[in-house]
Amino acid sequence: MNHAFFIWMSYGATAVAVLVEVASLLVRRSRAFTLVEEEKDLEAQD
Amino acid sequence: MKINWYYFASPATFFRLAGWVAPWMFVLAAILAAAGLYVGFVVAPTDAQQGEVYRVIFIHVPAAWMSMFIYFVMSCYCALSLTFNTRVGAMMARALAPTGAMFTFVALWTGAFWGRPTWGTYWAWDARMTSELVLLFLYFGFIALGNAFEDPRRGDRASALLALIGIVNLPIIYFSVKWWNTLHQGSSVSFRGTSMHVAMLWGMLLMALACWAYAIGASMTRVRAIIIERERRTNWVRALAGARA
Repeated sequence: MNHAFFIWMSYGATAVAVLVEVASLLVRRSRAFTLVEEEKDLEAQD
Repeated sequence: MKINWYYFASPATFFRLAGWVAPWMFVLAAILAAAGLYVGFVVAPTDAQQGEVYRVIFIHVPAAWMSMFIYFVMSCYCALSLTFNTRVGAMMARALAPTGAMFTFVALWTGAFWGRPTWGTYWAWDARMTSELVLLFLYFGFIALGNAFEDPRRGDRASALLALIGIVNLPIIYFSVKWWNTLHQGSSVSFRGTSMHVAMLWGMLLMALACWAYAIGASMTRVRAIIIERERRTNWVRALAGARA
């Protein structure tokens, strides 16, 4: 049996999972700062 | 040396501490992962019985360890948050959950791709695999319940209770291979020693340390975003956002 497929599927999926998490961290950080700016704008309108 | 824990319980202080720790942990994780993969794929010999596919353990075992360890740490933060009503404790628990879920998914996925060539099946409803799947659902439940409330502090309390009830699953996962007759084999590594080749053991330990450093880096980065979201009405966060713009 060729084991390369099983090894690639394991490490490949792990790499994808880590990349997705790192991307989600960057997006969340950016959204958090956007939330602060929106809050400031809302208060300025009041 | 006496540590002032109340000082670190302040979101503003913890934000700075997390910002200092996170990048170093990501660098450490990258170095340890490179070393672990080198030992695992170049130095460690081929397994006499399983052949090359055993090299999946260099990610499968550390991911499984981290899935349980992160849940334990998350539950400790939940207990701290419920007992002392600490905001940072609840935020850390929320920051750890997605990383714990990611490691649980990786443990299940890599286990399936190890199981197919060695056991002849991707999945079996045996005690170890099923209890690990329950752990994944506990992480999902914790995240969903926390986000179900408009008031994040109410969400913190509800999800903390769920996490503390769910901790009963950890000994079930760990002892499942002893308590029941499972397809999953018993532990190859314990505090009393190991039945593995020394290079295999080192590859696995280096990868476990890499996963540990990555988990700290990711949770510290996430907790910073959570602190910004929740403390957005405070002057120091506004000043921070202003300086960034």
